[in-house]
Amino acid sequence: MPVITLRYDRLKSLIKGRLSTKELVDRIPYLGVTLEEATDEFIKIEYNPNRPDFSTSYGIARHMNGLLGFERGAPSYAIEKGKVKIIVDESTRSVRPFVVGFIGKGINLGDELIEEVISMQEDLHNGIGRHRRKMSIGIHNFDVLRPPIKYTTVPPDFGFVPLGQKEEMSMGEILSKTDVGREYGHIVSSFSRYPLLTDSLGSVLSFPPIINGELTRLTSATRNLLIEITATDLLAAEDALAIMAATLHDAGAKIESVRVKSSSSIRTTPDMSLQNMQVNRKLTNNLLGLRLTDREVSECLKKSRISVALKAGKLIALIPRYRADILHQVDLVEEIAYGYGFERLSPTLPTSKKPGRPDGNLSLIGLVRNSMIGFGYIELMNYSLTSQKVLYELTDRRPKALIRVENPKSIEYEVLRDVLFPSLLMTLSKNLHEEYPQRIFEVSKVFEKDASAPNSIREVYHLATAISHSEANYTEAKSILSSLFLQVFNMNIDTVPAHHPSFTSGRVAKIKLAKRNIGVIGEVSPLVLENFRLRNPISVFEVDLNKVIFIAERKT
Amino acid sequence: MRPLHKLERRLLVSLARNGGGFLEDVTSRANMSIDQARRTVEWLRSKGMIKIETITRHRIEVLNEGKRAIEHGLPERRLVKVLGEIGGEATIDELVKAFDSTRQEFSAAFGHARAKGWIDTFSKEGRTIVRVSAFDRNQVEESLLRRVEEKGLLFEELSEEEEKVIDELSKRPNYLSKIGTKIININLTEVGKSIAETIKEVREIDRLTPELIMSGKWREQKLRSLDVEAVAPAVYPGKKHPIQRFVDEVRGAFVSLGFEEITGPIIQPSFWNFDALFVPQDHPARDMQDTFYLPKIREPKLASKDLVERISRVHMDGGGTGSKGWRYNWTLDEAKRLVLRTHTTAVTVKYLADHKASEAKVFSVDKVFRNEKLDTKHLAELHQIEGIIVSKRATLRDLMGVLSEFYKILGLKKVKFWPTYFPYTEPSLQSIVHVKGFGWMELCGMGIFRPEVTLPLGVKNPVLAWGGGLERLVMARLRIEDIRELYENDLGWLRRVPLCL
Repeated sequence: MPVITLRYDRLKSLIKGRLSTKELVDRIPYLGVTLEEATDEFIKIEYNPNRPDFSTSYGIARHMNGLLGFERGAPSYAIEKGKVKIIVDESTRSVRPFVVGFIGKGINLGDELIEEVISMQEDLHNGIGRHRRKMSIGIHNFDVLRPPIKYTTVPPDFGFVPLGQKEEMSMGEILSKTDVGREYGHIVSSFSRYPLLTDSLGSVLSFPPIINGELTRLTSATRNLLIEITATDLLAAEDALAIMAATLHDAGAKIESVRVKSSSSIRTTPDMSLQNMQVNRKLTNNLLGLRLTDREVSECLKKSRISVALKAGKLIALIPRYRADILHQVDLVEEIAYGYGFERLSPTLPTSKKPGRPDGNLSLIGLVRNSMIGFGYIELMNYSLTSQKVLYELTDRRPKALIRVENPKSIEYEVLRDVLFPSLLMTLSKNLHEEYPQRIFEVSKVFEKDASAPNSIREVYHLATAISHSEANYTEAKSILSSLFLQVFNMNIDTVPAHHPSFTSGRVAKIKLAKRNIGVIGEVSPLVLENFRLRNPISVFEVDLNKVIFIAERKT
Repeated sequence: MRPLHKLERRLLVSLARNGGGFLEDVTSRANMSIDQARRTVEWLRSKGMIKIETITRHRIEVLNEGKRAIEHGLPERRLVKVLGEIGGEATIDELVKAFDSTRQEFSAAFGHARAKGWIDTFSKEGRTIVRVSAFDRNQVEESLLRRVEEKGLLFEELSEEEEKVIDELSKRPNYLSKIGTKIININLTEVGKSIAETIKEVREIDRLTPELIMSGKWREQKLRSLDVEAVAPAVYPGKKHPIQRFVDEVRGAFVSLGFEEITGPIIQPSFWNFDALFVPQDHPARDMQDTFYLPKIREPKLASKDLVERISRVHMDGGGTGSKGWRYNWTLDEAKRLVLRTHTTAVTVKYLADHKASEAKVFSVDKVFRNEKLDTKHLAELHQIEGIIVSKRATLRDLMGVLSEFYKILGLKKVKFWPTYFPYTEPSLQSIVHVKGFGWMELCGMGIFRPEVTLPLGVKNPVLAWGGGLERLVMARLRIEDIRELYENDLGWLRRVPLCL
């Protein structure tokens, strides 16, 4: 989640009342953001993706002013009608069809503000923009441009001087040679023509969503800005535009609208009108466990910077356009809770008469676990994802139908276990220096392909055990196995000769319970021991506990 | 005084009777193994009963040429013998031929023989003739070499004359080498002597045997006192894995609060893991970077056609739940992609869909997966705690109350609640608990399921939900800094980590 740095002096200058640094820091968690770090000069906070308007100190201050009672209701944003037009060429429709924008005039861009605006732009790109795929923002020095602005497409060999370069580069070169080109080029590279914004004289504003032109670079002397947002999703573009407009407005800019003209429509942006939603007081009181009146509800909403109107006897919330996260009346319930103060909500404990109950199968598995502990075995917990090497190669097993995740970050964790004992051997190989005898076991789910199972993969619990010492042998393992089944299930197991690549032939058997195969027991073959660089003999057994439980329950 | 170990008694008595000396001699006189003796000497030294001196001594090792000399005599002796056999006189060439050895060896033998005065040379008809002049039959060097070889004599044990002989022989290549070794010399101290005198020669026994008990002969024996303060060898019991211990502790807490346990598959279609929870299909949590995907084996069956339709509509336009929805093009293909569940909520929401309960309290503590690169704070597999309450009158304040009670059972008495955001709950809170010896930490996130989640499932009442990672709590309680240590399966740690921490 995004993190922003807030300097106390800057934040305090935006708060419309007196507040000590300590009071300010103490309030932070009640804004719905996480305090990451606090120093003498600044704090770092992490904000949630539903509140992209928190990406600058202006957004944080706007919310704090409300909750602290210094300002109430939705902020008002006066938008002047501007003359600038963006003319949209039909060819953009299949590439990146939407563009919106506005002009911000008379702003005093200090270095700090530039830094904040650029950091906000990056956060919006990553969040609402889904890494510039859904929408991307260009911020330009308006004074060097000659309107109207044209949004069109050009072939990849079209060239201009991109931001930060001295020489002209073709768009193709920009995609292959610059860092941003390589990172975001995939968004447009499959098209035969790339999107481009120019002014009426053909000077390049930007090659969205990749890079601006050098021409419109911002400096601390820039006074008038053109903000444009291109998008594949109009809603995302408008959400981001509203946040940009509110922020620049709060930073002192006069906002002028822009007309976007295409062959089929003319739109005026930004749209900063308040959104209406009916307030549900009953739902609010039910969910919060409070008894608020309409008046109290209204006061709470106003603290959350939402205005309230009464229409035909119904309470209507008037929500600022930058609050794109409010989708449902329950979102207003939360805004009311913010206004009321989460710290004022006292816990209540509902009474209930129904007894609790653990899962039956897990309880039986618990009995198996406790018995193994009684035999002196130490329980392990390994990952379900392991490597093909440990699971198959080192144990000399053939992968029949291995289940591999599509996108592992490491080859050590890429295949789901179909048996547990290789992990036990791996554990023993990492503990050669520990005293012997070593007795270990693991109870965990394994995975195997099975057309009759949900999602075609069967998930069952296995128990695997291993003993290792200089005289470890089949008989010792079988004693434990037989005793386990008598102690837990009062059932006898049978062991019948079998072949298994991981075990010494003649010293390996299938385990049968009520004539059904439930697992394998044997002495690990010297070859496999060598593969794991193990030095002591090891005997192992592994059983399918789901089958065991099924058989045991049918018996009774 | 602490009773003496039987080895200590044995060594003290032997030293008093036979006198002190080198460790090896003392050991054999006391009839001990060298390991036993070393340990016993250390114990007695620390008790001030014996004193130890370390002396450097030189062992003489006979090398290959020396061994040959033992067997065949020194080369000069062999030369004189050969000269005698060919008549006592010969030219150099004749002698070389008869000696039948390397030129180098001949030169050495010739030089030594002449230096010892065993041969001399004279000129005859222009040729140099060698003849035997005297011969010492006492094989002094050879017999000394043999003694050294057989008895392993120390240089310091030799007489002055013998030392000279050895020094001379040492000059010859590959005859001898002197190796310095530290030798431990042991003697009783005054304290040791007086204690040794008190040790009675009663026959004490070490072990009570069934024979002694049954025959009654134990009456004639005395069982030796043991050093009851001595350290006994370590043994290790079987044990639950620490994570499992906490899993069971948390399960117990849920059951005691009246919750019923539910379980379900780890492999889930995105539909249950994400879509049913109102997580939009382009949400960053659904990235390949964050979630493990599995190749589809066959088309998974998601749910009834009707339910799939309702959930798709919630995403696209709110589907009559009173929500605006996310307003995008929802696709069935994306919902069918299989994932390793990223939270147990996938199981919970399926439970809600299957049971449509108007009142329920269920929980699970089970494995979840995140496509993370492992580091000190992140695992790709971990355990999630999750509980839900469905009730007509359930409130956010109830959720805070139940969670406080839940934490109290786990020994976490101080808890704070802060607002936060989750895509499928509204309002949402983060709980922060105080863990003794660790401090404040974020534990469970919580909230009331959004109507966009519950209404399509047919659940009308509010659903309170909370969940969080178990491993963080285990780390704090066991004072572990690196989360990966929990899954290292280091037997040393598993054997020794205490149950109460």
